Amino acid sequence: MKIVVCLKQVPAKDAPLRPLPDGSGIREDVGYEMNEPDAYALEEALRRKEAGGGEVVALTLGPERASQILREALAKGADRALHLVSPPEARLDAAATAAAIAAALQRDASSSGAAAGSAAGGFDLVLTGLQSDDMGFAQTGVLLAERLGLPHATIIMQIEPAGSGLRVKRELEGGFFQSLEMPLPAVLTIQSGIHKLRYATLLGIKQAKNKPLAKIPLEELGVDTPNCQRMLRLFVPQKTKKTIMLDGPAPEIAARLLEHLRAAHLLPGS
Amino acid sequence: MQHPEMQADIVIVGAGPAGLACALRLAELYDRHNREHPDRPLQKENILVLEKGREPGAHLLSGAVMDPAAWRRLVPDFEQSQELAFTPVADDAVFALTARRAWPLPLTPPPLRNHDNFVISVNRLGQWLAARAEAAGVTIFPATAAVEPLWHRDQPQKMRGVRTGDKGLDRDGKQKSNFEPGYDLLAPVTVLAEGSRGSLTRQLLETLKLASVNPPLYSLGVKEIWELPAGRFPAGRVWHTLGWPLPPSQYGGGWIYGLPGNRVSIGLVTALEYADPRTDPHAYFQRFKTHPRVRALLQGGELRRYGAKTIPIGGWDSMPPLAGQGWMIAGDGAGLLNSQRLKGIHLALESGRLAAEAAYQAIALSEPRRLLEYAEAVRSGVIGRELYAVRNFHQGFERGLLAGLAHAGLQMLTRGRGLRRRYPAVAGHLRMRPLAEMPAAPPAPFQPDGKLTFDKLADLYYSGTRHEENQPPHLQVRDPGICTFRCSHEYGNPCQFFCPAAVYELIGEGGERRLQLHPSNCVHCKTCDFMDPYGIITWVPPEGGGGPNYEGM
Ligand SMILES: Cc1cc2nc3c(=O)[nH]c(=O)nc-3n(C[C@H](O)[C@H](O)[C@H](O)COP(=O)(O)OP(=O)(O)OC[C@H]3O[C@@H](n4cnc5c(N)ncnc54)[C@H](O)[C@@H]3O)c2cc1C
Repeated sequence: MKIVVCLKQVPAKDAPLRPLPDGSGIREDVGYEMNEPDAYALEEALRRKEAGGGEVVALTLGPERASQILREALAKGADRALHLVSPPEARLDAAATAAAIAAALQRDASSSGAAAGSAAGGFDLVLTGLQSDDMGFAQTGVLLAERLGLPHATIIMQIEPAGSGLRVKRELEGGFFQSLEMPLPAVLTIQSGIHKLRYATLLGIKQAKNKPLAKIPLEELGVDTPNCQRMLRLFVPQKTKKTIMLDGPAPEIAARLLEHLRAAHLLPGS
Repeated sequence: MQHPEMQADIVIVGAGPAGLACALRLAELYDRHNREHPDRPLQKENILVLEKGREPGAHLLSGAVMDPAAWRRLVPDFEQSQELAFTPVADDAVFALTARRAWPLPLTPPPLRNHDNFVISVNRLGQWLAARAEAAGVTIFPATAAVEPLWHRDQPQKMRGVRTGDKGLDRDGKQKSNFEPGYDLLAPVTVLAEGSRGSLTRQLLETLKLASVNPPLYSLGVKEIWELPAGRFPAGRVWHTLGWPLPPSQYGGGWIYGLPGNRVSIGLVTALEYADPRTDPHAYFQRFKTHPRVRALLQGGELRRYGAKTIPIGGWDSMPPLAGQGWMIAGDGAGLLNSQRLKGIHLALESGRLAAEAAYQAIALSEPRRLLEYAEAVRSGVIGRELYAVRNFHQGFERGLLAGLAHAGLQMLTRGRGLRRRYPAVAGHLRMRPLAEMPAAPPAPFQPDGKLTFDKLADLYYSGTRHEENQPPHLQVRDPGICTFRCSHEYGNPCQFFCPAAVYELIGEGGERRLQLHPSNCVHCKTCDFMDPYGIITWVPPEGGGGPNYEGM
């Protein structure tokens, strides 16, 4: 199976985050690491390959520093890597990111001579993490499926081959799961914690240096999908301790709740 | 257990200034060699560097004011390293502190004069050197701890490499499903560049029964980075302080260095050689910030980073043998630090560079004995000259600050000799006195306010420390019974005070009191490895990748 796994570099979990004074983002003086669910997507991809052969391509879109997570993926066993290099000041939303990744996959297919015109660039499986630890949109994988014209399933806990396709287990709310079969190629967004992550071995780290890591400047992809989201301001939540307890019969509580929401201008048109 | 083997030309343990300087210089020597001897090329990928931090630089913490001489020798295109934002020292001052006042010394003593030096971040310096070494073709293994030296079976004095730590062991030492055994990295040359109190360095000295003239001596440096309102403390300003809050008998002092971006590096060094087992270097540092002068400076600012690390201060007479069969020791691990100037980065860089020269001779000419030339080059070269001249400085403070300053003056007149050729020294943990000999009332515990001053756990959050929780404990207490039944009465468990990361906690009441360890808090400062009065704590490297994340420190 030919698998591409999309990885994002995010601020390290333990990094003390600080918004920029103008609220346009966070300060860059923090450590970065591979987004946690993406690490599980990579693990799943490597296990698929070990079980059934094929190729694992690690892909990221991000500034120059994001190459570090691709080297990590190569050290753990990915065969090659694609880095869509964005300018440092670029802030792509999920739609623009998905458009760029889709373009890169199609371009990869034509350059590697795979079935031209195939939607997913000749990949059988496209994996992403469920969501990113920094923005948390959980949209990139879904939008990417739309761009590639492929079926998708989200919050995947388990994957098994079934006929010419896959049987996957999705996590729903409240301890429920859904099991479904899907055809290939497909896009799956992977949940954290579904396997134990492997360590890169020293041999893996050494060999990773000789594996191909292609850097493609974003502008070379010729995608001009504009962001459809705009971040107004990033700020630390204000601590306000104003809990109001509403007691009484439900209809009364509902009415008073509405009043409070209106008074706080939290309803549209209020 | 089977350990996979990997052959190399050289294994360098530790990606600090010493280890990285060694790797980078050796890569250059390989390039030159390959130009001159294309018939027998050397492979730069066989230069291996191991780093236990998650990335090179993650465990590097320093002040830091750097003497640039060694850096210039290592990186001749000095200008290129300007992206590192080295800040030239603009002005410097030394203050003697009392609880209320700060008296500027009329003249900055020559060792603390810092013109032509640079205020830097050693974390950034490490990241930069590592990237450069990797680009040159060196192999760096991040998140990889060396855990023991390996010796030739038939020549037990000859090192044949190191073993790296297993990964994926649980609390009880059982293999988890993602277990990976450590590697045996085999090479004719091993360089131990582990920094202060290296674990392999300690094992090596024990195995070969080698020792320095004086025992090794250490200080603990506790540091924070603050961001201040613009214009409060210019980048490149360098302040040192003496006195308060340290009692006159306590060796140490404070620093405040101006960094770019309205930030300051602020910290306090406390020598780990005191009588009172309740001494708490972290609390001293917190008190330091409440000095009116310092408080005014930090007012309205915000804490950004925290960390702590030991500093070898024994100097010339605490230097162990530096080389032997198949091994060399460089940097802080060999005690190469000028405690009078609180500077070791330049000596680490220089020793790493010298180790590379010797390693090249040993590797390219297959002449292992050339490693001994390294020891000679350090002792008789610029490093040795600098350390020999201040050999008695620290020991002169044996009887406290005033006597120390008198000795220091005398030593300056006698080119380092002072009253004696060698001032004796006593290992820090042997100086600790039982509680019974201490004033009955314990010092009032420090009450942090959460704005200017912090407790250890609050500070720890700013160190970015993280470990795999389910792993064998990396703080090995040989006999926990001693902690509960002897130490608690005799010394009151000093580990809970000297540890700057709240690893050691006493829980329970009265007869039920016992010591609880929180190894995940550990910032790898190594204090407990030598400072407990019974010598029963051994610090071993935890699973590679664990530890602090000293971004910008
Ligand atoms: C608070 C403080 C302030 C200081 N101020 C100054 C100053 O202003 N100017 C100055 O010049 N010097 C200063 N120093 C000293 C200076 O930081 C050191 O001399 C210098 O960092 C030593 O470099 P090194 O490479 O020998 O060791 P380190 O910098 O300690 O680096 C050692 C590296 O090896 C790694 N390592 C250790 N053991 C292992 C292992 N077993 N396996 C794998 N990796 C391992 C560590 O994680 C670390 O990354 C200061 C030190 C401190 C603590």
